Amino acid sequence: MKKVFVVLLAMLFVVSAFSFKAIMVTDTGGLGDKSFNDGTWAGIVRAAKELGVESKVIQSYEQADYISNLSKAAEEVQKEPDGGIVYAVGFMMTDALFQVAQQYPDVYFAGIDIAPPTENVPPNVVTFLFKEQESAFLVGYVAAATTRVGKVGFIGGIPIPPVERFRYGFETGVKVYNDLHGTNVTIIKGYTNHFSDPKKGKDLALSQFAEGVDIIFHASGACGNGVIEAAKEKMVSLVGSEDLSKIIEYAFENGGIFAMGVDVDQDYMAPGVVLASAMKGVDTASYMGVMWAYNGEWEPGVHVLGLAEDGVRMSPMKYTKGLVSNRTLAELEYLVTLIKEGTLVIPDTEESLNSFRTPKIEFPF
Amino acid sequence: MRILEAIFLVFINPLFYKITLTAATPLIFASLGGVYSEITGVVNIALEGIMLLGAFTSVLFTWLTGNVWIGVFMAVISGLALAWLHAWGSIKWAGNQVVLGTALILIAQGVTGFLMEPIFGKPGQTDFVGKVEELRIPGLADIPFIGKVFGELSPFVYMAFAAVAFSWWLIYKTRLGLRMRSVGENPEAADTLGINVYGIRYFGVLMSGVWAGLAGAYLSVGEVGHFRELMSGGRGFIALAAMILGNYNPVGAMLASLLFGASSAFANQMQSSSLIHVSATVKPLFDMIPFVLTIIVVAGFVGKSHVPKADGVPYEKEA
Repeated sequence: MKKVFVVLLAMLFVVSAFSFKAIMVTDTGGLGDKSFNDGTWAGIVRAAKELGVESKVIQSYEQADYISNLSKAAEEVQKEPDGGIVYAVGFMMTDALFQVAQQYPDVYFAGIDIAPPTENVPPNVVTFLFKEQESAFLVGYVAAATTRVGKVGFIGGIPIPPVERFRYGFETGVKVYNDLHGTNVTIIKGYTNHFSDPKKGKDLALSQFAEGVDIIFHASGACGNGVIEAAKEKMVSLVGSEDLSKIIEYAFENGGIFAMGVDVDQDYMAPGVVLASAMKGVDTASYMGVMWAYNGEWEPGVHVLGLAEDGVRMSPMKYTKGLVSNRTLAELEYLVTLIKEGTLVIPDTEESLNSFRTPKIEFPF
Repeated sequence: MRILEAIFLVFINPLFYKITLTAATPLIFASLGGVYSEITGVVNIALEGIMLLGAFTSVLFTWLTGNVWIGVFMAVISGLALAWLHAWGSIKWAGNQVVLGTALILIAQGVTGFLMEPIFGKPGQTDFVGKVEELRIPGLADIPFIGKVFGELSPFVYMAFAAVAFSWWLIYKTRLGLRMRSVGENPEAADTLGINVYGIRYFGVLMSGVWAGLAGAYLSVGEVGHFRELMSGGRGFIALAAMILGNYNPVGAMLASLLFGASSAFANQMQSSSLIHVSATVKPLFDMIPFVLTIIVVAGFVGKSHVPKADGVPYEKEA
């Protein structure tokens, strides 16, 4: 009995000795945005569960909260015997993150979608950026392979860097498909200049459909819900039913009207009508950050995650896989390996997009 | 030349006219609301907030009851409630109408943002809750061109035009309308003649809540089927501009709304045109077209507009 007690006590010591905390400070979007904040939190929770450490979230309600919330989180982490890590989520928190990180050099900080404003990143900070262009490349390729009219559309929100990277990738995907298959699929591009006006997204999507496109990829935040709604309205009117199997059957025979989602797997928002989504794996990034801080494998600086790092990917096309030929799917697989190897580099700037030439690609089948 | 060709193609595309109608509909409703309020002498810049609250309430009640029309009805009720606050503050307490309107916009933004979490369990946006079905008029859809424009439209579009006709009749052909206008021009004189100035002004402001609430319902359950924070996107202010451009007249406001709708449809269509090759970073400039057009129209074509003389001036009875 005594022995058991001693063992238990020893275990208690061990457990309490490893007290480590991962705290996430949201941006004003907060939890529930189905994008950054939710994704980052999912990754933290996954890591915390695996390691058996504590995780916590602090919501920011306005931009003025960023600095005070990050400081609060850092103070809390400092009290833990084994320290911990503080997450800042979203491009808008850039300044706050670097300001606070300098005041707490013994606390680990991680930023999601944050590019450091200066060359010198403090040794306690990692930031994660994503190769949006790589996942957009894949959906662009799928779009070019699926369109029956040879015209596809792109709708961006405000042309900020992540949105533009999605566009570069999409354009490259279409171009590569054209070059490999001798087709001439063209792209119509437009911007809503907004991220939270779904009606605007819908109107612009209807305009593009009126110009004859049959697939639209959006990178426009909540405006995209309007884009998806526009596609759904058109498709349902064509098919005469909202039933998934009827939609797929119709689309298989006659083609149809599709939207493509962004950031997270949006295929479920209109099953059968959202062809695929270009996903951004913020959860992978936040998971990695916690692991590094906990295991002491800290690599400060900027980390850019692409297909190779599992930082971006295309949705599994749960509802619409049957609409894409097996050959196209196999080609996609092969292109993914080329991108992972670094043989195929997707442009991430306007200049590199303009000078992009499709390399010689021989499919091994 | 390519540009001229692109413009020509836009104008012969039936869908351009359809998008014009759907883009103008919320503006028609909201600018009508502005007309009702302002001809009785109360400035109502709260339209933006009322629309937002209407959009939220209609989604909320559609979600709760499963019936979109109950949602639409409740949007009207919520519009009435917010408009009543405006009326109460600006008529009974003679508050500054612009300050009050601004406060109400902020209240609407705060309340809808706050209620998202406890009601829908997440901030930002709701899931799809359902929407008002398009009206398909048999036979009409088969006529070439016209069928593409009017074949499938939201019933809200027809309601908007009916509302304009009704309002024109009410304001210019009935005794109540005459009283509304007289209260907006010269409340003292109207009061001397035994007209209930406060009552008429309450009526005007409350009606503006009804129309702006409908505008909000159209944006959410009428078009996209879900609510997103701040989804009114400044349309309340554009509606105010349409009302002024339309000379405080329901028909004028409708025409101005159609002009704004057409220019935004035009901007969308132009930036989607495959004939014009402009770089993607220049595309957001197309969004300026509606505003450039407004300046041209206001500066060049609209004569002197007649503002109700007592617009924005609180009326206080002499003891």
